[in-house]
Amino acid sequence: MKKLIFLLFLPLIFTSCIEIIDDISINSDGSGTFKYVVNLSDSKLKVNSILALDSLDGKKVPSISEIKSIVAEYKQKLELKEGISNVKVETDYVNFILKFQCDFVNVNDLQNAIKEIAIEKDKKQEFKEMQENWLTWDGSKLTRSVPTLTAETTQKLKKEEADALKTGTYTSITRFDRLIDKFENPKATLSKSNLACMIKTNPHALIQNLSILENTIYLTNTKKPQ
Amino acid sequence: MYLALINLPNAIFSDMKNNIFLILFALVFLTNSKFSAQLSEDFIPKDAVTVFSINNITLLKKVSMDELIQYDFMTEVQAELFDGSTSGKSLKDSGIDFDQKLNVFYGKNQDYEVAGFSFGINDKMKLFTVFDDFERQETQIKGIELYSSYFNHLIIKENIGMVLRVDPTYEKISVLTDSIWMARGYGYFYDGYDNSYDEKLIEPDDEEEESIQEEGNFQEEEIFEETEEMLDSTSSENLNDFDLMNKNYWEMRDSITNELQYDYFVKILDEIYLNNVHLKNNDEKFASQLLHESDGIFYLDNSRNFNNAKGLWYFQSIMPELYTDFQQLYTGNVMLGDIMLNENSVDIHFEANYGEALGTIYEKLNGTKFDKNVLKYIHQNSTGFFTYNINLKEGYNQAYDIIIPILSQEKDPRVSSNVLMAELINEFVDVDAVFDTYKGSMFGSFNGIKKVKTTKIEFFYDEETFEYGEKEIQGEEDMPIFTLGFSTNRSDIPEKVLNHFGRMTSRFKNMGTYWIVEDAIFNSVPLYIISKNDLLIFTNDEDMAKNHNSGYGSQALKGPKAKAAKKSKFMYAYFDWGLALNNLPKEMFDTKQNEILDAMRGKSGVIELKSSKTTKEKTSFDVSYKFEGDFENSGKYLLDLVNSIYVLSK
Repeated sequence: MKKLIFLLFLPLIFTSCIEIIDDISINSDGSGTFKYVVNLSDSKLKVNSILALDSLDGKKVPSISEIKSIVAEYKQKLELKEGISNVKVETDYVNFILKFQCDFVNVNDLQNAIKEIAIEKDKKQEFKEMQENWLTWDGSKLTRSVPTLTAETTQKLKKEEADALKTGTYTSITRFDRLIDKFENPKATLSKSNLACMIKTNPHALIQNLSILENTIYLTNTKKPQ
Repeated sequence: MYLALINLPNAIFSDMKNNIFLILFALVFLTNSKFSAQLSEDFIPKDAVTVFSINNITLLKKVSMDELIQYDFMTEVQAELFDGSTSGKSLKDSGIDFDQKLNVFYGKNQDYEVAGFSFGINDKMKLFTVFDDFERQETQIKGIELYSSYFNHLIIKENIGMVLRVDPTYEKISVLTDSIWMARGYGYFYDGYDNSYDEKLIEPDDEEEESIQEEGNFQEEEIFEETEEMLDSTSSENLNDFDLMNKNYWEMRDSITNELQYDYFVKILDEIYLNNVHLKNNDEKFASQLLHESDGIFYLDNSRNFNNAKGLWYFQSIMPELYTDFQQLYTGNVMLGDIMLNENSVDIHFEANYGEALGTIYEKLNGTKFDKNVLKYIHQNSTGFFTYNINLKEGYNQAYDIIIPILSQEKDPRVSSNVLMAELINEFVDVDAVFDTYKGSMFGSFNGIKKVKTTKIEFFYDEETFEYGEKEIQGEEDMPIFTLGFSTNRSDIPEKVLNHFGRMTSRFKNMGTYWIVEDAIFNSVPLYIISKNDLLIFTNDEDMAKNHNSGYGSQALKGPKAKAAKKSKFMYAYFDWGLALNNLPKEMFDTKQNEILDAMRGKSGVIELKSSKTTKEKTSFDVSYKFEGDFENSGKYLLDLVNSIYVLSK
């Protein structure tokens, strides 16, 4: 799990101008689509110059082919997980943009898939964080949070690295096939269609306060207009 | 061959790297010399190829030892010197007499490598708090005390000490071990180590590392205990003839290494302490250099480097006559230098000496007029630039006239066919066209850090649905701005090449007065190519390509710097370290690095390298580092500089 979280936040360590989008669509039956986009195109010169190095700060810098094989490995693992289908990964190594998406039967399947991969990667060890759920859905209410392990990982960032993240953006979008009634996070905004809810922040603020993305969203029974 | 001269500074810096701690140590402790019966410079083995002899420094008068040991680089120097066994001690407790010369040396011949330093001693008791793991050894030589710690030796005669390490060369050990091994009837020794195992090694993750470290600590203890037991059981009293005859290959190799190490060490001791044979009385040039009243001297005998070059062993055995001819060509190739520390500058003068044959090649190579066109493309406020003037055509012709006759005498079929190939190429290829296209002269400049335009992808959101799309927009990133230009008389040839690429790919675009190669640098930033004024210029400076492709005009380099560049024959370099540091974005460094670099910010420091006219005997170089600004004293300034470079390079 630690490694998985590290991989997700690796771009944050390497660069400042980063754009991250997490986008989850939930259908009334609990199934849905999860999308995750990392955009480093504003720092591609910096990323390219880092990739030209063998190591940085004593840590090995992976080559493009190594990054490709890691991405392919995770894609393959995820495809085999129960309740997960239609796994797609788009990579652009010129602009350094990674787009990931998968469909899930229910939010538990998505969480379990991520947890299982984390356990496999971390040599079958269970973490207490594995017990927690950062997504819950009861048919009319969705609760979102950020895994507590992310906090531990991001606390390890140096002050300079964390400060440099102020210029990036982190966008969290939650979509439904029913109209949204209300939500608890005051920083969230509602789309004009009332079908999506967005929280926009920067990676620095997120590191400082992971609860910034926490939200409980209540839905009405009104279906999405056809 | 001319590359040898060009590579001379590299050769020095390569040795410097190998002895970084000794050199840092030496740099700091340039001291006043005090004449005694024998001097520390009389204790340098004749096999030393590189020597830094430090003399007459005033640094310690300007910077207290307490201040000195606060510097970051001193932490490592002290750690290296005290090897962690005497933590809390500083150099001022070392017992080393900083009023005597300190000589750092390194050398290699075909049998062994030798490294160490000789120095004065003012307090032997304190000295042994530093060399606390050295144990007294018996010696047959009267008047000296010998102490050893593993492979390092400390020899003291009167008030002069020499730290010495002697290592037999890998080749020497291999030849001896293999011949004894084969003489015992074992045949050729094949090391059955399976290299493919290394490729299978997987980097452990955090947990594995922790567990390996824990295991490692345990294993280390176990290994240490086992080794101790083995040493006890294999001490000389316990060994019998049977054991000696039945050593495996590696045990025998270790024994031979130890034996050779001892033999060569004794040989050097005998030379210096019994027969009074040392570098100073073995090399007139070095002895003469020691008489210079500079703050420090250095010596590098490149001709012996040639003789001992590892790659030439095969050449020497298979084609001895040819090797001897080339050895003669290289005779007299010695670099000698002086270091002068002044109130506001550090000046280094050095001479690259060589024999006549090689000298005629260098003379022809460097005998060219300065290409004034390059000055047009160097901005007057450039942070740093260099000009390099050689006549490759003349150098080639002279080298051809000297080297081909030597090679032609060799009857080896490979050499002979290579000679034929060289002669045919010389006949068939239009040598004039080649060297008119690439004349050899070049220049480069660094114009600080600028924002360069890049493209980036940005996501935009539909307010109705929060669905997002992407668009390409212009971005900016910081980048160092470099320009590199080559003199040419045939600008039509690079144009042909560029036109070809322009037809082949859309990344090469002819903009009329310059070319642009899109995403050429790190797949992100364009490279600009200018072919004008008999120069072929490559730069990432958009402003230069668009607005100054005919030169900077009134903003071009002029005045003393331009004159100095023109006057300096084959090479000139200028770098304003103070300006560079002031212009580097603070964001490039972390808080601690910025705190240290702040000590240098706001001060000026200009490095200038000039060369003399090349003659058949030598080329002289002068490097000057001038500094001005708000500093306590020159010693403090220098140490701040050394510390900043150390921090930047970490």
